[in-house]
Amino acid sequence: MATTGNTQGSAVERVRTTSSKPHNPHRMRRVVMGAVVLIVSAAMLLPLVWMILTSFKPEVDIVTYPPQLFPRHLTFQHYLDVWNRIPFARLYLNTIIFAGGVTIISLVLDSMTAYALARLQFPGRDVVFIAVLIMLMLPFQVTLIPLYDLLVSFGWTDSLHGLIIPRATNAFGIFFLRQFFLSLPKDLEEAARVDGAGEFRIYRQIVMPLAVPALLTLGLFHFMYNWNDLLWPLIVNQDQAHATLPSGLALFMGQHVVEYGLLMAASVMALVPVVLFFLLIQRRFIEGVATSGMKQ
Amino acid sequence: MTRFSRRQFTAMALGVALGVTGCAGQGASKNASDGQSTGGGAVEMSFWNGFTGPDRATVEALVKQFNQSQKKVQVKMEISPWDVFFQKLLPSISAGKGPDLMGMDAAQLPQYASRGVLRPLDDYYSKNADSKNLIPAAVDAAKWDGKSYGVPMNFTTLELYWNKDMFKAAGLDPNKPPANWDEFASMATKLTKDTNGDGKPEQYGLSIADHATIAMWPILLWGNGGGVVSEDGKTSLLGDPKTIAAADKWATLVRDGHVSPVGLGGADADKLFQSKKAAMEIVGPWMTTGFKDAGIDFGLAPVPAGPAGPVTLGTSVAFAVNAKTSDAKANAAQQFIAFWNQKDSQTSWALGSGFPPNRTDISAQDLAKNPFIAAFGEHADSAKFYLKNVKDFSKINDTVFEPALQKLLNGKGSASDLFGKASKDAQAILGQSK
Amino acid sequence: MTTEAKSLPTPIPARPRRRGGRVRRQQKRAAWLFMLPSIAVLGVFVVYPMSQALYLSFTRYDVLNPAVWLGLKNYTDLPGDPAFTNALANTLYYAAVTTPLSVGLALALAVMLNQRIPWRALGRTAVFLPVVLGLAIVAIAWSFLLDPDIGLLSYWLGNIGLTSNQGWLRDPNLAMPAVMLVGIWKNVGFYMVIYLAGLQSIPKDLYEAARIDGAKGWQAFRHLTWPLLANQTMLVTILCATATLQAFDQIYVMTRGGPYFKTETLVMLIYRQGFSEFRFGYAAAISWVLVLLILILSLGQLVYFRRRAVTY
Repeated sequence: MATTGNTQGSAVERVRTTSSKPHNPHRMRRVVMGAVVLIVSAAMLLPLVWMILTSFKPEVDIVTYPPQLFPRHLTFQHYLDVWNRIPFARLYLNTIIFAGGVTIISLVLDSMTAYALARLQFPGRDVVFIAVLIMLMLPFQVTLIPLYDLLVSFGWTDSLHGLIIPRATNAFGIFFLRQFFLSLPKDLEEAARVDGAGEFRIYRQIVMPLAVPALLTLGLFHFMYNWNDLLWPLIVNQDQAHATLPSGLALFMGQHVVEYGLLMAASVMALVPVVLFFLLIQRRFIEGVATSGMKQ
Repeated sequence: MTRFSRRQFTAMALGVALGVTGCAGQGASKNASDGQSTGGGAVEMSFWNGFTGPDRATVEALVKQFNQSQKKVQVKMEISPWDVFFQKLLPSISAGKGPDLMGMDAAQLPQYASRGVLRPLDDYYSKNADSKNLIPAAVDAAKWDGKSYGVPMNFTTLELYWNKDMFKAAGLDPNKPPANWDEFASMATKLTKDTNGDGKPEQYGLSIADHATIAMWPILLWGNGGGVVSEDGKTSLLGDPKTIAAADKWATLVRDGHVSPVGLGGADADKLFQSKKAAMEIVGPWMTTGFKDAGIDFGLAPVPAGPAGPVTLGTSVAFAVNAKTSDAKANAAQQFIAFWNQKDSQTSWALGSGFPPNRTDISAQDLAKNPFIAAFGEHADSAKFYLKNVKDFSKINDTVFEPALQKLLNGKGSASDLFGKASKDAQAILGQSK
Repeated sequence: MTTEAKSLPTPIPARPRRRGGRVRRQQKRAAWLFMLPSIAVLGVFVVYPMSQALYLSFTRYDVLNPAVWLGLKNYTDLPGDPAFTNALANTLYYAAVTTPLSVGLALALAVMLNQRIPWRALGRTAVFLPVVLGLAIVAIAWSFLLDPDIGLLSYWLGNIGLTSNQGWLRDPNLAMPAVMLVGIWKNVGFYMVIYLAGLQSIPKDLYEAARIDGAKGWQAFRHLTWPLLANQTMLVTILCATATLQAFDQIYVMTRGGPYFKTETLVMLIYRQGFSEFRFGYAAAISWVLVLLILILSLGQLVYFRRRAVTY
């Protein structure tokens, strides 16, 4: 492809290099784009920046006029007090187990089902797919109570498995991965099938390695969704011992009085794992891992 | 067929006898099936409520004190935000995993009592002599259909806060808050300042919320002799000319006179006063700490009286007992309630939370450490409860009253049209509920 | 040009034309084995409650008392219920504005942040971070920022002469746009990441070839990038439409559906009917109408995009 139209190509190249265009527009463009990125970033991050800065303000400085973004006086007291006011360490641990557990199990189960839907031929495939889609469409407010009744009848309330297993697989994850698998080239798989490899081997050794960026993205999504989920853990568990971070944070929100400093400090600390997770996978994207196997 | 040896039989009989004596010795339950007591005879009772925020510490301290003071009853408390509390309550109760004891706003009691969720507590009042010392208005607020379904857990009225510095700056006497509607309206107008003439005041005379708030506007309606629903919960008062006149008067002041921003939620109203952008607010005791810490030199006074006389809002969270709970646990709950409402508990509750005590026999001296508390309990006699005896509290407030009020404040119609229609809607709902 | 873009190297030699019955049976067995764990979990914990919800939609049910059979009454009541029609209109309005804006913005951001420009890493992080923040807390931040009297944004805008009396969330006309903005702000990062992955899987030499043929910039985008991103566009559009039609979280925390129901969407109404008014049967009926709506729209999108799908 690159070698077609040889003379024509080089003619165009020649024209370009002999043109008297200065390099400035390129640099100008980069500077302008950089500025745009900074502005967009500032707009997107403003609430988070406000949260972080507020967590260092003494409580009296938070509700005040004129409003100020930067603290006039810095205090770390909120970060210290959080640990006394709620059992923060235990909440953290519970949430890591819950969100982490759901994420790992869900990635495995979702990808297996997505693989079947994307790559394997079997009767009823479209029906299963439509069924999965429909599951995405019913709001949880309506299934919450029947699901809770089910858990009660199993005796699964106040338990870790009651918390995790209903979320062990996820219609969204299945849909997301199925679309991703569909966009992968089939040649490697077909070759392996011709060579007699079993489906599970193909799934494990060919498809999954190619799916790493999608798995990371979906994993982050599952992780942060469950990390931030207030209602589900509270509904399943009555017991304070199993409580997760969002319920702890909610304790700083009174009916009439919100303890803003403590709430922001606790929220910032609660954010750290999710943001870390994101920064880790972000690097993978920058390094351009999404090759999808264009091997020639 | 195996026959027991005489020895085995004696052993068994002895065992059974001991078991029976053991059970009888606990004396806690009349129903053998739901003894559910731990080995040592303690009854474990679950207690759910929504006291998050700064109040939580005081509630937890009292529960801990109760648990440590005796071994017969242990309270296991669970606190979650109020909306989660109500979302969890229904499914848990229906699945038989509901709490034994709950704290909920007295206004919500009819919704649950009428559906058979709550146990009547008339026997608490008849058995417990100390309960005569409870504030009558609060006790009355927890009744439905002639029975008591709650015992007060907290109680307060709303009072007028005013910012003395802002009064001074406006040329008003900082020690003379408005005492009647004329003064209230004129002072609010005087305290509203739009110095740069852009149509938006830099300072508001009043901070009043119209949604997501403790009821403030109904006080203004009551002040003129009107209201939202009659005391017996049967008739809508929204179409009453006195109601419409009051609504019109104050809505005009807010909407056209800009004495208060339109569309404030409860939290917004508090923040406005706290950041010294509003000179007056009608709200409860929970803001005293925040306002004090913000350096506001404020005073507390009764809500300015309207033509119908002095009136303010009374609000109370009440203890309620699950109808499905066993007698043993119901008795345990009553024991805890009695502890909560006894004199020294109430004194430490008041000093810790800033709420006035539920009792009438605690003097201002006992509460001297927190000088603001007394003001909130003083006017219990002129306190009215919002939507008392109304079974469909949420429906009337959320779908009829607040939308009508908000439309009025946004200039979407006249008071007589909007409230007239709202009155018909409200009456339809009141008529349906049985 | 376009045909070239689509025909990527196909190194597969002649493959067996006829799929033997054995292969098909193997695939079938493998497929069901692969899906078994998911189907088990979904069947018990999703499908079963959904079937309960379907049953309840034909009843009057307040959780505390047994369900009373009503037949189709809940459904026939819907068109005459002004709360329902209001919520339906709001929902359609919300989705119709938010979806194209989110998808378009996500694509624009992805294209911009895929190039070698300064602060690119910061930009990607900044755009994606709102996705991982818990909405309840972030809503508090937004309400502080947007407060027309003491909020930072109003203060800054006021200093340059743009004042607003009631502010975003309290003004009946601005409340819905405000909620839309927060919705877009919160989720655009997720769609951008999907587009980024798609962009990075387009081989660079295609752009080289295009440039040699004289197409760059906007033309390269229109004839090369956009068609090759069809899979991602389909995924993003379906996900976004499905999500926006179920908008609830930011509305619940920021406006609760107010002022006077101007921002009440269908899911907000479902919540209100169920948990405020104890009408779970009616709430269930509304949910199934919503499912039908989303299903029709999704199937429509699937059909539309299937014709344009990129296959290898």
